Amino acid sequence: MTPPTSPTVYSAATLPANDNVTAYAFCVDLDGQWFAQKGKMIAYYGDIRFQALSSGPLDALVAANFHSPLYSQDWIVAQGRGKLLLADRGFDVNSYDLDDGNLTIRAGNLLAFEPGLELKQSIIPGFLTLIGTGRFVAASNGPVHFVEPPIRVDPQALLGWADCPSPAHHYDHSYMRGVIGAARSMFGIGGTSGEEHQFDFTGQGTVLMQSSEVVADEDALLRDLEGQIGVLGVSGLQRLHHTIGRRLAAERQD
Amino acid sequence: MPGYQSITSKMVRVPIGPGQEVYSRRGAMLAYTGRVHFAPSTTAGQGIAGALGRAVAGERTEMMHVTGQGSVMFGKAGLHVTVVELSGGDTLYVEADRLLVHDASLRVGTMFLGEQGGIGGVIRGAVSGQGLFTTTLTGDGSCALLTHGGVMEMPVTPQRPVHVDPQAYVAHRGRLQNKLTTAVGLRDLIGRGSGEAFQLQLVGDGVVYVQPSERKI
Amino acid sequence: MLAVELAGDTIRALNGSMVAYDGRMTFKRQGISGGEGLRGALKRRIAGEGMTLMEITGQGTVYLASEATEVTLVPLNGEAFFVESESLLALDGRLRTGVQFVGLRGMGTGQGLATTKVEGHGTVAILSDGPAIALEVTPQTPLSVDPHAYVAHSGQLRQDVVTDVNWRTVLGQGSGESVQFRYQGHGVVYVQPAERGGILEV
Repeated sequence: MTPPTSPTVYSAATLPANDNVTAYAFCVDLDGQWFAQKGKMIAYYGDIRFQALSSGPLDALVAANFHSPLYSQDWIVAQGRGKLLLADRGFDVNSYDLDDGNLTIRAGNLLAFEPGLELKQSIIPGFLTLIGTGRFVAASNGPVHFVEPPIRVDPQALLGWADCPSPAHHYDHSYMRGVIGAARSMFGIGGTSGEEHQFDFTGQGTVLMQSSEVVADEDALLRDLEGQIGVLGVSGLQRLHHTIGRRLAAERQD
Repeated sequence: MPGYQSITSKMVRVPIGPGQEVYSRRGAMLAYTGRVHFAPSTTAGQGIAGALGRAVAGERTEMMHVTGQGSVMFGKAGLHVTVVELSGGDTLYVEADRLLVHDASLRVGTMFLGEQGGIGGVIRGAVSGQGLFTTTLTGDGSCALLTHGGVMEMPVTPQRPVHVDPQAYVAHRGRLQNKLTTAVGLRDLIGRGSGEAFQLQLVGDGVVYVQPSERKI
Repeated sequence: MLAVELAGDTIRALNGSMVAYDGRMTFKRQGISGGEGLRGALKRRIAGEGMTLMEITGQGTVYLASEATEVTLVPLNGEAFFVESESLLALDGRLRTGVQFVGLRGMGTGQGLATTKVEGHGTVAILSDGPAIALEVTPQTPLSVDPHAYVAHSGQLRQDVVTDVNWRTVLGQGSGESVQFRYQGHGVVYVQPAERGGILEV
């Protein structure tokens, strides 16, 4: 069989410290505490404890660094000494260093961050903002591509953004006005394909793009939507119910 | 004007300008800069007759016409993107749903696979679940294909025919005859085969594009 | 994708994994005994582990792949190698295969109750969702692994299914890792940077 190349065998000592092992896996050299999203740890060496954010001893840490009740059940704190391997769906994994900065990223794609950073919910549903100084690790479907505003990005291809103002919604009027576009906007046939709606970035900063987001964070998005239902009254809920019913009927016909 | 530029293995940037219009698969635009317009298209540059032919053929993937001035990034669902350049009247044979984007200057056609390789061609379509029709692109210009996993380009020469799993076949170009062969005895075809019962044999002079997966798009 | 050059010799490969070839090749489904004798076949039936290999013989180059997953080559020098049969892409014709019962392990990954054991001298090609990472285990450095990221292991290893209370309560509840595998001894564990389907609730 050709070529008989043997893979690199890593040990607890030779695994990279706070660096990528491959393009798809990151190794945290833990000595203290890191926040990590559940289900993103594939293996570890050493003496590491995992604790829910709700567990009592973490109250002070959570109060200082984790300001997202919506996502708190998805996160834990890894505590102790050892090497912790992170990976996510075979996606590309990258680490980012913030120096007194801010970066907003798709919630489902954030794997872990140091307590030097504070986590907050973004104004844009499904996104989280990291503020402060420290390192975090995030996954992307395909390598990350950095672009500068002005640019319009398909919501599914948006991984995050740094330093620039939050995006605005952009609707392609001519596309919407077309026969098919009109049918889509009225009945939502076939869902959205992305060509009629983008996120519009302006100003100074950097936008992070990925190839696409697939189902992976539908759960996060749903939870975001559910979280917003709380502010609706009875009439609002009825109207929403009506809209969803009409959309479901259209999907069935499609 | 620069051509198609692969940004990552899963993203391609395409310049748009006067005389540089493209057709792309709908839902595959990732981002754009400049003044770019997208219009749904059911004819994909083939005219009504072509569209009807495509509809009959079942090769009906929704496309859109992209015009204006700027640049557009395309990609889809994390699939790999491969850019193919055509020149000198070359023809590329490819399943419509694997076409991510192509220059509007390329002539688009639909071909009944039975025209090539006789009855074998017909079976090939049936076996690989691709229908009996395939899309052809002819002329001078660029296109980009979607594959599950990175694509492998295998040259075919008269001395070196290549056999391909119909499920892993993506596209081909050049003067190639394709025909379906069996590499196992008939006994093995009944019931518990090895999974390699049918193979697509490509003979002639050209290139075949193969993906490392049996997954359709 | 794995390219194997054959000069009249034989390899065994995962059914349906041939993507392309040039030259002359014959493909043969393995008999019910799968080269393991009747005893091996009986064990497989009981274990629910289908025989997933075919024989390829010929002259030329054959290209093997599956679901666009990554291929890792593992050279074997007499040590025992254990791998989920769905993750076994190809192996030298002279390597022996057998069935190993592993108790709860298989259940966790939704793969049935057994794992394929490969022995001898030669090369094994394994599949993983993303490139596999090889992690050494020594008596001083035991390793904990998410069952869904586990691909294969070799050497003298003891494998325990750990329902660590702390790990379980934190990660479990049906969506994350409610159990972990703990490896102790001398050997190498191969993990992939993605999770397979299948959840084990203990």
